[in-house]
Amino acid sequence: MTDLTSASIPAAHPAPRKSSLLTQSALVKKRNAAEARFKYYGIAAITISLSVLAIMLWTIFSDGLSAFKQATFTFPVTLDAERLDPKGNRDRAEMMKVTTIGYTSLLNEQLVGYLDARGISTEGVDDREIGAFISRDTPARLRNLVLDNPGILGQTIEFNGYATGRIDGYLKGRVTRDSAELDTNISVAQLDLADRMVDEGMLSASFNWGFLTNPDASDQRPEASGLGVALIGSAYMMLLVAIMVLPLGVAASIYLEEFAPKNRWTDLIEVNISNLAAVPSIVYGILGLAIFINFAKVPQSSPMVGALVLTLMTLPTIIIATRAAIRAVPPSIRDAALGVGASKMQTVFHHVLPLAAPGILTGTILGLASALGETAPLLLIGMVAFVANYPAGPLDGGMLDPATALPVQVYSWASRSDPAFIERSAGAIIVLLAFLVVMNIVAILLRRRFERRW
Amino acid sequence: MYDAPISETRVTQNEMKITARGVQVFYGEKQALINVDVDILDHTVTAFIGPSGCGKSTFLRCLNRMNDTVASARVEGEILLDGENIYDKRVDPVQLRAKVGMVFQKPNPFPKSIYDNVAYGPKIHGLTRNKAELDQIVEESLRKAALWNEVKDRLHEAGTGLSGGQQQRLCIARAVATAPEVLLMDEPCSALDPIATAQVEELIDELRASFSVVIVTHSMQQAARVSQKTAFFHLGSLVEYGDTNHIFTNPTDPRTESYITGRIG
Repeated sequence: MTDLTSASIPAAHPAPRKSSLLTQSALVKKRNAAEARFKYYGIAAITISLSVLAIMLWTIFSDGLSAFKQATFTFPVTLDAERLDPKGNRDRAEMMKVTTIGYTSLLNEQLVGYLDARGISTEGVDDREIGAFISRDTPARLRNLVLDNPGILGQTIEFNGYATGRIDGYLKGRVTRDSAELDTNISVAQLDLADRMVDEGMLSASFNWGFLTNPDASDQRPEASGLGVALIGSAYMMLLVAIMVLPLGVAASIYLEEFAPKNRWTDLIEVNISNLAAVPSIVYGILGLAIFINFAKVPQSSPMVGALVLTLMTLPTIIIATRAAIRAVPPSIRDAALGVGASKMQTVFHHVLPLAAPGILTGTILGLASALGETAPLLLIGMVAFVANYPAGPLDGGMLDPATALPVQVYSWASRSDPAFIERSAGAIIVLLAFLVVMNIVAILLRRRFERRW
Repeated sequence: MYDAPISETRVTQNEMKITARGVQVFYGEKQALINVDVDILDHTVTAFIGPSGCGKSTFLRCLNRMNDTVASARVEGEILLDGENIYDKRVDPVQLRAKVGMVFQKPNPFPKSIYDNVAYGPKIHGLTRNKAELDQIVEESLRKAALWNEVKDRLHEAGTGLSGGQQQRLCIARAVATAPEVLLMDEPCSALDPIATAQVEELIDELRASFSVVIVTHSMQQAARVSQKTAFFHLGSLVEYGDTNHIFTNPTDPRTESYITGRIG
């Protein structure tokens, strides 16, 4: 027995052969290969996501940047007092009897006349087609100008007006001769005339401030539509959300983190907060419709109801971020404060909150950024609407006036048929992205600026 | 000699400051302290020694009700401070903690200026009427903590920028500033190097003139150096309590002897 064991030991444990450090063993080779493979998987994953991002940005910018340019006419218009104020008493009510149709025909005649006078050939284009160069928005603008300044009647003014969407698209390269041949709204002859007008300096594309300031416009005049109402609506909503969500979220987090007893009820609340953060946002829209609009009678489509819904939606996220920030404050700081005889509230407000503030602000800004881009709940509370009037100032009840928001403006433009609206939709995405980038940068700067100080 | 006492070890005072009777502490179901009776004298340094988890820190935290912040902790028995039960329903722990200051194991200055660290306690307790008085308290406290000369030119720099030993002395200054009657120290030197430890130990001896000091320590040498009274805890019970000299030279309980000679713990 002893013989057997002593004999079998060397067989089971052969003397270790001396291995060189200069050659890799099979196991090490395999391990290194696995490591290299994993590194390549990681690089591949990052490359794929970055290229998808690049494609997305390229599409958006190539489609949308042109929305920031707009073709406009400049030509002298003689404001015939006989036609625009038939009674001749410069009375606003009387002048209003001349509708935009009157102004349209005046503008058309003046344009045709001016082309003749400048000797610009209008070959192949009849007067009606020349009139079609002018946006349907332009006569209304001229009418407002005249109504506000009756003194200019009878004078000749250099008038600036939007060109119609097709001509605008031609100047920006969206409309081509090939596409015009298939298009009943524009002819190749009209495009030739547009070329001649550009040569003469009366038609040009320039930066489009109207895109940022104008309200939405109807399907027939994409060139006049802008983000004005959506920007005001989004700004109002973000303001209201920030005002409502910050005190609610911070108070709830402080209570749960510092004061609440740890029992079954607080566990339940905790689980529910996490679950609420994962609820699809459209559900909050239905909730808002039922509670805020149907029950509390908050006016629909108003920034107020939008902000209430977005507050509910961001609240769980903000509570989670705030609690994490509060929890990151080391307990030794609380001990120190309690040890010198500070009350619980003094401990929280003098020491814990200031240290947690950067985290809370970062979380809030990121929460607001996600609220800014939120569309689904707003669909249900009537914010996808054609709103052509600006809401009133924030102190004049503007929060209760109908408005839209940036993401829903993107949505509603994207669903219209005219390609000019698709361009504007992409342009609106660029504006939205710019806001999100700014908000994220502010969050990053805050985090850097107030790094942990203990 | 390494563990030679740096202070007079004879007890010169017999005035009782804290009397604990039948103190039991439970964390949930687990009992952390079993029937502890201790009398802590005024103007005396009392050391609590014992192996890790023996309950000495738990007992220390009972003395200013810091255990209240632990949800599962339950304290039974009574602890009298100047004859008043600190666990009485009418006692506000905040008021108690102004009287019983505490210095923690890890230096934990507030991430504020040195001045604000020290001034915080007096401010919230309304101990001063104006800036001049506050300045004076800050200076006195920093002097008591033997830190004034090192920081007097940079009172408005961050307290967290000091070295570990300086931070701990700042924490002592902060505790001293509220004019406590008892100062609790939970292993105040465990995060410090030997030089800083020596400074803090000297400080502890000086502080004895002003109030009663209770110190929890892992180092028996430290207990021997700074304290007049020593309590030895083991497995949640107070095994032996008496004059430091006596405990270290002639312990009555075999467990104390084993611990001191390094056989348990």
